[in-house]
Amino acid sequence: MNALLSMDKITGGYGEADILQDVTIHVDQDEIVVIVGPNGAGKSTAMKSVFGLLNIRGGTMVFDGDDITGWAPNKIVQRGICYVPQVDNIFREMTIHENLEMGGFLKQGDLSAAYDRVYALFPDLKERRKTLAGSLSGGQRQMVAMGRSLMLDPKLLLLDEPTAGLSPKYMEQIFQICRDVRDTGVAILLVEQHAKQALAFADRGYVLAAGKNRHEGSGGELLADREVAEMFLGG
Amino acid sequence: MDLLELINFYLIPGIVLGSIYALGAVGITLIFAILRYAHLAHGDLATLGAFIALAVVTSLGISPLVALPFAIIATGAVAIGIDKVFYEHLRERPKIVTVMASLGIALMVRSVVQVVWGVDTQTYSRGIVRPEDYFGLRIRDREIYTVLAMVALVGVLQLFLTRSKWGKAMRAMSDNPNLALLSGIDNKKVVMLTWGIAGGLCAASGFFLGLNTELKSMMGWHMLLPMFAAAILGGVGRVEGAVLGGLIVGIAEEMSVLFIPSEYKAAMAFAILLFMLLVRPTGLLKGKVL
Repeated sequence: MNALLSMDKITGGYGEADILQDVTIHVDQDEIVVIVGPNGAGKSTAMKSVFGLLNIRGGTMVFDGDDITGWAPNKIVQRGICYVPQVDNIFREMTIHENLEMGGFLKQGDLSAAYDRVYALFPDLKERRKTLAGSLSGGQRQMVAMGRSLMLDPKLLLLDEPTAGLSPKYMEQIFQICRDVRDTGVAILLVEQHAKQALAFADRGYVLAAGKNRHEGSGGELLADREVAEMFLGG
Repeated sequence: MDLLELINFYLIPGIVLGSIYALGAVGITLIFAILRYAHLAHGDLATLGAFIALAVVTSLGISPLVALPFAIIATGAVAIGIDKVFYEHLRERPKIVTVMASLGIALMVRSVVQVVWGVDTQTYSRGIVRPEDYFGLRIRDREIYTVLAMVALVGVLQLFLTRSKWGKAMRAMSDNPNLALLSGIDNKKVVMLTWGIAGGLCAASGFFLGLNTELKSMMGWHMLLPMFAAAILGGVGRVEGAVLGGLIVGIAEEMSVLFIPSEYKAAMAFAILLFMLLVRPTGLLKGKVL
């Protein structure tokens, strides 16, 4: 079976400098894939390259049978990839429900099925649907941001450090929600600072360093790898 | 001086003037929130709206209030046109470039008004209107229309912003422009909508100033400072704040005559603006800081 997303030897960056060099990553359907690595390894950059936020100078990006290399973000959204930025990922002055509505902006017709699906994943949000998103805690904001991005029924969700700044309790909760989302048939590619926890929960992982592929394998394999443990995970 | 006198000669004119400022300030605050710059042609756009209404009144011979919707639509269209022809090309440049361009547009619009309608003072209808007496309160019909129209227009705008898909898209764009783009919201349409609404409200503002006083080619330019003071006082980006700010500035200007010579009336808006920027730059209803 072909992969849902395959990045093949992607080279590129913002402006002139190449941050990524021959990065190759693939994500299968129903899979959670995590990118870890030290600071400045190009993790977030690799993810942004999928969403068309980067100048790609080499390699190809194929999603669900289409070559999406160089597509504009709004076209990529419509094709079925949604992206949750690390910061500023909600509309603060709008209610939770309105945030979801904006997430479904491109969808024609009735949104009620999409609301039901998102609220089933995030029951807490349903209770507080009329609350302004800006008044929520960090963990709840992350849920609003994920909920917003799920409104268009994406096939692939890109999460940029969804657990940054969250307590361990919320981190577990976000990871659990990621599993639930995957079980509804949405593949997830995420970038994580908390490498150990992320590798323990993800199906597969990639270790990037200095903009290049370093290691790849299942979460367990990478955790067991001594070099990975020493170099990137702090022992 | 008794209370009734205070209300009749200062508070009521203040509320009417405040409603006129509010209509302009709401447009200023919307443009500030969505496009993030100060639009200095706002006053002269109001002048244009007032004179378009005059043209409709004199050519069709209808009552000024019936002419108002025509002026609103025409001025909204002009505002969209100005954006397309001038401001759109400056979108990627620093905002100050557009602010300066809008000053140029202000001069251009005023010149068009002067060329087409002349520089003399004009009115929608001749003669003196005596106020009606409501239990000692002396109010003119046109004053009631002004306040009611302001409340109705702002009310409809609020409903649009909170209930409709495109109204919410405007709020989303003001709240987090990058995320709005990631969500697939068409920013060009939102910008067009913003100009249409702001231009229409401008026309209403100029129209009611003309209805309550007289039409002059400089009328809107003189309203620019109080309208900005109102928008900042209320909190930039806050529609209800702009209304509150407009009313406060209008009432403060009229009331100031009690304490300072009337030639300094216009300085009140400047004093309020300065005071708010020093003490609470986010405005009364916590808006954006720009």
